[in-house]
Amino acid sequence: MSTAPEHPRPPLVRPTDGRVLAGVCRGIATHLGADVKVVRIVFVILGVVSGAGIIAYLFLWALTPVEEAPSVIDPARPVQEQGGHPSPGAAAGGGGSATAAPGASSAIPRGAILLAIGTLTTLAGGIALLQSSGWNVRAGVLLPVLLIAIGAVLAWAQLDTTQRARWAGVDGWRGLGLARLGFGLGVVILGLLALATRGQSVNEIWDVALATLSILVGAALICAPFAVRLWADFRREQDARVRETERADIAAHLHDGVLQTLALIQRGADDPAYVTQLARKQERELRGWLYGSQEDPSQTLAAAATAAAVEVEELHGVPIEVVVTGDRPLDDGGRALVRALREALANAVRHGSPPVSAYVEIGPAAVEAFVRDHGCGFDPDTVPSDRLGVRESILGRMTRHGGTAEVRRRDPGTEVILCMPHTDTGGDAHQDAGAPDRAGDQRIPVETTVTGSQETAPTEPRPEPDLEVSIETREPDPVPRGGTPR
Amino acid sequence: MTVRVVLVDDHHMFRTGVRTELLEAAPGFIDFVGEAANVEDAVSVIRREEPDVVLLDVHLPGGTGHGGVDVIHGCLGVETAAGAPVRFLALSVSDAAEDVIAVIRAGARGYVTKTISATDLASAIRRVADGDAVFSPRLAGFVLDAFGVAAGEIAEVDEELDRLSAREREVMRLIARGYQYKEVAKELFISVKTVETHVSSVLRKLQLSSRHELTAWAMGRRLI
Repeated sequence: MSTAPEHPRPPLVRPTDGRVLAGVCRGIATHLGADVKVVRIVFVILGVVSGAGIIAYLFLWALTPVEEAPSVIDPARPVQEQGGHPSPGAAAGGGGSATAAPGASSAIPRGAILLAIGTLTTLAGGIALLQSSGWNVRAGVLLPVLLIAIGAVLAWAQLDTTQRARWAGVDGWRGLGLARLGFGLGVVILGLLALATRGQSVNEIWDVALATLSILVGAALICAPFAVRLWADFRREQDARVRETERADIAAHLHDGVLQTLALIQRGADDPAYVTQLARKQERELRGWLYGSQEDPSQTLAAAATAAAVEVEELHGVPIEVVVTGDRPLDDGGRALVRALREALANAVRHGSPPVSAYVEIGPAAVEAFVRDHGCGFDPDTVPSDRLGVRESILGRMTRHGGTAEVRRRDPGTEVILCMPHTDTGGDAHQDAGAPDRAGDQRIPVETTVTGSQETAPTEPRPEPDLEVSIETREPDPVPRGGTPR
Repeated sequence: MTVRVVLVDDHHMFRTGVRTELLEAAPGFIDFVGEAANVEDAVSVIRREEPDVVLLDVHLPGGTGHGGVDVIHGCLGVETAAGAPVRFLALSVSDAAEDVIAVIRAGARGYVTKTISATDLASAIRRVADGDAVFSPRLAGFVLDAFGVAAGEIAEVDEELDRLSAREREVMRLIARGYQYKEVAKELFISVKTVETHVSSVLRKLQLSSRHELTAWAMGRRLI
């Protein structure tokens, strides 16, 4: 039965799946690394022969905690779900129980019913046997005791269900549960009454019942304040512990983020741009921690767009007001849009002037993105064709993925409008767009690292934007297989 | 005409900063008549001074723990000497939708973030004093989200409280894109006054609508 597991032994808990009664046997089997069948048979034999099995079962039921909710990561859980055991020695037995485990949750009532019938039959047979062999079994005692036992089991079983339901986030004390508890209590009271009267009329024990009741009430009155105090203390302690944990969590976060930033700010106090950037970065981080969603930027479009804006903001130290409405999973079109958006934001931050705002609307049919700055503005037609930022990374990329891009001149500043319909254009459009896209992405860091240190004038040996060169004069495209702009 | 303003914020440094900046940006336009750092002080100052506009922080100590919302509830029915209701402009660092929606639904005429420039804040105060609504791009984004505009829900009649009309939607989208009111007006070929009417109508819907998303947000702050 015992094994020498290489892993630490799984904790002794009662599993929620694959149980027949209360999960005691399965819990023990998992804990000891034994076959659940063997454990069950041992319990039944012990129970029938001496009654010790039943008592042990009840004790274990009462004292063994139920396995935590499935959402809690528990190393023992996957093992139990497979119905197997951590030790290879019991693998053969595990195979046997594995077949029983999947259907077990639906088979619980049937198992319980079978067990009940079996117990009753055994008891009846035992009583008959004892009677015939000359023993005097007093049915007037035995039946009520049985009733009490059944009622107690019914009521206690409710305790388990409630606990499980609480972990599942549902209120367990409802409908069926309450009915079961009430029924169990009723059966117990009936059994107690039957035991107390033992065939006499109820009137005769009335005085006794009254005396008992008054004693109970008195005891309850005396105990109630203590119980209430105890409960309140318990709650207070629990609350304090929760608060303490939360406080420690916050302190850790502040220490890692805010305090470090403050230290950096003190050291770099003579560089306003650096301080602003640090403060901005810290603010964003804190904001994300306080109000942020835990969306993964690689999963949803809204998170990816926000992350892109944050990245640009961090690189250039210019605040960007980002507003995103709606959301959807990130697909190829969405990725292209986010890259174009990133480029548009980088342009707005570099060449325009604040406030820079981005609005991404994820609608049912298309995603629209608007990037607005308040700079002096520029005419896309006068941008030299070797300035690839707008032409290639924004316009070209959007067209390749089946979207549109437009650069509009606003009274103060410029607005870039990107639109990407949801209808996925299929894999082929994406495949041949892959290479230029990668080329485009490699170019971005080069541009940003060169211009990142100064805000305005790019230091590349390139003509300044306001120097002639119309978009018509196409010169050799450094990007192989680049799509035609617009 | 100067606008009488009460400034409610629990950060002394912030109050000083806003006061100085506003007096510099719009001299002679704003008259600061009072300040408060918690809910109780705020209510008594507002009741005493009856200002035109209250600049209200969303998170404040005191009251029943709902900050700015408690102040608005505590000042219901207070009117200025001219007989106009005291108007509230929420000013906060919070980005959380439930904070924004809660304070708007309590009755604030607008919501701006604390990073707003002094000139913009001055014009926002002017607008609120005139009874118009002030929407930041972020608030416009919340509105578009909450009214299901992103999902394509559009009211068929303007009076419908639970959805935005097509025109209101356009205005909200432009505000979310970072447009000033006059730019919105130019873009849609309407007057600034019409833009203000649309925004006020959206604000009314935001306050009165029983749309699930809005009530759910308010529920998050346990206000209903």
